[in-house]
Amino acid sequence: MSAETVQTIIDDLGALLLFTMIVIVAAGQIYRAIYAVAAQSLLIAIAGGVLAAATGNTDLWVIAGVTLGVKAIVLPWTLHWVVRRMNVRREVEPVIPVAATLALAVVVVVMSFHLSASLGSVQPAITGNALPVGIALTLLGVLVMATRKTALTQMVGLFASENGIFFTAMAVTQGMPLIIEIGVILDVILAALVMAIMVLRVRSTVDADIADLAELRG
Amino acid sequence: MTGDRPLGLVLFEMTLLVLLGPLVTGTIQKLKARLQCRQGAGLLQPYRDLAKLLRKGTVQADTASGFFSAIPVLVLAATAATTALVPVVQAGPSAVPLGDALMLLGLFALARFLTAIGALDAGGAFGGMGASREMTVAPLVEPVLMMVVFSTAVAAGTTELGALAAHRGTSWILAWRAPDFLGFAAMLLLLPAETGRIPVDNPDTHLELTMLHEGMLLEHSGPGLGCMVLASHTRQIVTLALVSALFFPVGPVDGASVTGLLLGAGAFAVKILVLATFLALVESSYAKLRFFRVPQYLGVGFVCALAALALRIL
Repeated sequence: MSAETVQTIIDDLGALLLFTMIVIVAAGQIYRAIYAVAAQSLLIAIAGGVLAAATGNTDLWVIAGVTLGVKAIVLPWTLHWVVRRMNVRREVEPVIPVAATLALAVVVVVMSFHLSASLGSVQPAITGNALPVGIALTLLGVLVMATRKTALTQMVGLFASENGIFFTAMAVTQGMPLIIEIGVILDVILAALVMAIMVLRVRSTVDADIADLAELRG
Repeated sequence: MTGDRPLGLVLFEMTLLVLLGPLVTGTIQKLKARLQCRQGAGLLQPYRDLAKLLRKGTVQADTASGFFSAIPVLVLAATAATTALVPVVQAGPSAVPLGDALMLLGLFALARFLTAIGALDAGGAFGGMGASREMTVAPLVEPVLMMVVFSTAVAAGTTELGALAAHRGTSWILAWRAPDFLGFAAMLLLLPAETGRIPVDNPDTHLELTMLHEGMLLEHSGPGLGCMVLASHTRQIVTLALVSALFFPVGPVDGASVTGLLLGAGAFAVKILVLATFLALVESSYAKLRFFRVPQYLGVGFVCALAALALRIL
């Protein structure tokens, strides 16, 4: 594959990633957000595969495989399981209206494109639009975390944010060392497990969600 | 500007679009019926409805002014004029300067405005309700449509739809760049809103308070209603043709030969059928959104279109 083809494919995948992120931000039901984050991880695995084929870096194949297995299948399945287990209401509960979040998302997207356009000297080393898309994904993930009340949707935001960082790292550096990537993935798994157990415990002990803990007095 | 599409061809395409509009509606209704395990009315049912309406007499509200009876004709004229602006069987700019995508969207807005004015003029409660709702949705749909058009127009350097389609070439999805994916996603989200279908509007009902477009037609009757219905059929097929001109390849640019035109016509039929199937599937698998959720739904389209524009420009 020529460098230009790779750049085109990564750009296209970036656009699709952005679309899944917008769906996560706008999702009114938690299942939709979970499916969108799974699709996002799948796209990142594809991006990893493309970069691996282009650079001949075998580590990237491993990373793409692990991403596919862990982030596109196991983590969404875990989230799904927690939702079913908890019998939670399936609507996400936003702190501010979803329309306002979408307006903020617009600002974030434009800002991140503006920001990476101002990084004039760095840009040639970077694959196409991967940097602004990665920044936008990361920040939008944080936005989702900040504007949702329920812990599960915040977890979805965290995974999306993590996907953004992963995508940027992969596209910009043409693959980080394997050990770092594996460490990051392990971190994510651990975080997911801890959060899932935490959510279930809080739920079963005091029948409250994370947002209610703000009113906790010692 | 080199004129690729002679006036005769444009006139032929206009006739084709106006004549085929009801067929598309019939196809969508048939597909929906089959998806619901019903036999459904025939494909030609919209034509029969139109013929019936044209034979009937007119009843008009006492409160309606003289302008009211002119509304259906004006709406139909504005909508029929848009058919001249989309390429159907052949890409390339038209020989006579007729207008561009902005003109098309402007005519759509004019038709929408006239429909709403007519509904308010008649003084019915449902008409006013429908008009108010339609005017709430319109400012959410139109800018996004414009941004989608712009996101492709920036790459081609023109807003003339024929030239845009020629720039798209024939390699279709292989030639898609990142903004095209987002723009197409935005377009697919907008398509039900622009054609008055679920999840934004419900085309099948005249009874519920949830209706937008149908509510505005309640006060019309006879040939006037026929004109309004034909206008909404035409609007639907023009919107589908707009999508296919922006994102799918239209027939060959230099295909002035008969085979070229036939190929273009076949391709057009396939594209419209695919989009009609999409609409039927969406309409069968989703419920209508609560009206206050509609801005959120259209907001997704807005953000997608904006991101497409950002990818293209920044």
